[in-house]
Amino acid sequence: MIDIFRGIQRDLDGAAHLQRLGRLFSETVLIEVDGREFYLTFDMGRIKAVVEGPSRKTPWRFALRTDSEALTKFWEPRPAPGFHDIFGLVKIGRGRIDGDILTLVKNLRFFKEVLALARRSEEVPA
Amino acid sequence: MSIEPITGRYLTVTVAGAPRRIYFEEAGEGRPVLCLHTAGADTRQWRHLMNDAGVTATHRLIAFDMPWHGKSLPPEGFQTEEYLLTTEAYIETVLAVVNGLGLQRPILAGCSMGGRIALQLAAQHADMFSGFIAIEASDFQPAWYDIDWFHRPDAHGGEMGAALVSANISPFAPLAERWNTLWMFMQSGPGVFRGDLSFYTRDESLIGRLAMIDTARTPVHLIVGAYDLTCTPEDAARTARAIAGATLAVMDELGHFPMSEHPEGFRPFFLEGLAKMAQGTDRQGQAA
Repeated sequence: MIDIFRGIQRDLDGAAHLQRLGRLFSETVLIEVDGREFYLTFDMGRIKAVVEGPSRKTPWRFALRTDSEALTKFWEPRPAPGFHDIFGLVKIGRGRIDGDILTLVKNLRFFKEVLALARRSEEVPA
Repeated sequence: MSIEPITGRYLTVTVAGAPRRIYFEEAGEGRPVLCLHTAGADTRQWRHLMNDAGVTATHRLIAFDMPWHGKSLPPEGFQTEEYLLTTEAYIETVLAVVNGLGLQRPILAGCSMGGRIALQLAAQHADMFSGFIAIEASDFQPAWYDIDWFHRPDAHGGEMGAALVSANISPFAPLAERWNTLWMFMQSGPGVFRGDLSFYTRDESLIGRLAMIDTARTPVHLIVGAYDLTCTPEDAARTARAIAGATLAVMDELGHFPMSEHPEGFRPFFLEGLAKMAQGTDRQGQAA
């Protein structure tokens, strides 16, 4: 799983339009998958670090908690209904979003498109 | 170069005792179909069907921008007003447009909040219409988000609204149409999406009125996309069950803005809906 997040980090380095969208976003986001913690630290639209937990000392702004099967489906080229969006995961009971939701919403397009960088087709949108 | 057959004009009607300058578009000849856009958007959502000769050969499609939306101005004095759409104002506006344009019992086709108000009109003013196509429409859903997110001084409500509603667009939607659909939300005036959502997520009055709908007089057909998180197929099915004689079609590969996000995918479902309206007219004719 950490390799996927590092792949997203690399892809984001090459995505100028996403860096522009996220230029005011410098926060740490917790992504919890099957209970394992992954901390993605963003700095002005780039991911500065991907660190696996557990950690009780890493402050985070918001968290997405889900499971690996749901994320795998999320990253399919054309996900099934509910698996096609992070709010879809929440709606179908396969995800939870905690923390400063307003910060997420202010940067929603950026965050959703960054997470979708691991989706297996360039033709399919975030 | 190409010039589309859609024409746009303005009419001024009175709503809540004050004038509203309303932009409307139309295309085609035949049985009138009045088309209502979703929250936070405008008439452009209907442009594909209005450019579809297979539809406009037998139907006159008319769509209008609700006041505050698209090219329809907000009412005078809006600068000190909090925009909050109500069922009453919405009904009055639709009826004012029907009367203002002299439409004789049009079919009413509405999407999302437009579908909600179509069902309200089916319950309360069915005599003004000859049938109802309610798309992504249901009795009621409370918000799964905070509508105040979309009107704040420290963020762009349109961009946030677009990012939120993208959750309701199918991954089967062509990329260009996905982004054309989202662009309308990005362009929405400050507080307009929030004011629409206030109507959509807080007014439960339709639930008790569904039993008033007489589908023998005016047919009701619901259409819902499987990728719609806001009005799910379960929401639409529950609503259809509460309307005796209503029919429902589920679109497996579409979302909350079918006519806009995936025109080709939506087309057969809309044609099916129009055909059901014809059956309703026949039925009424026989009864008469």
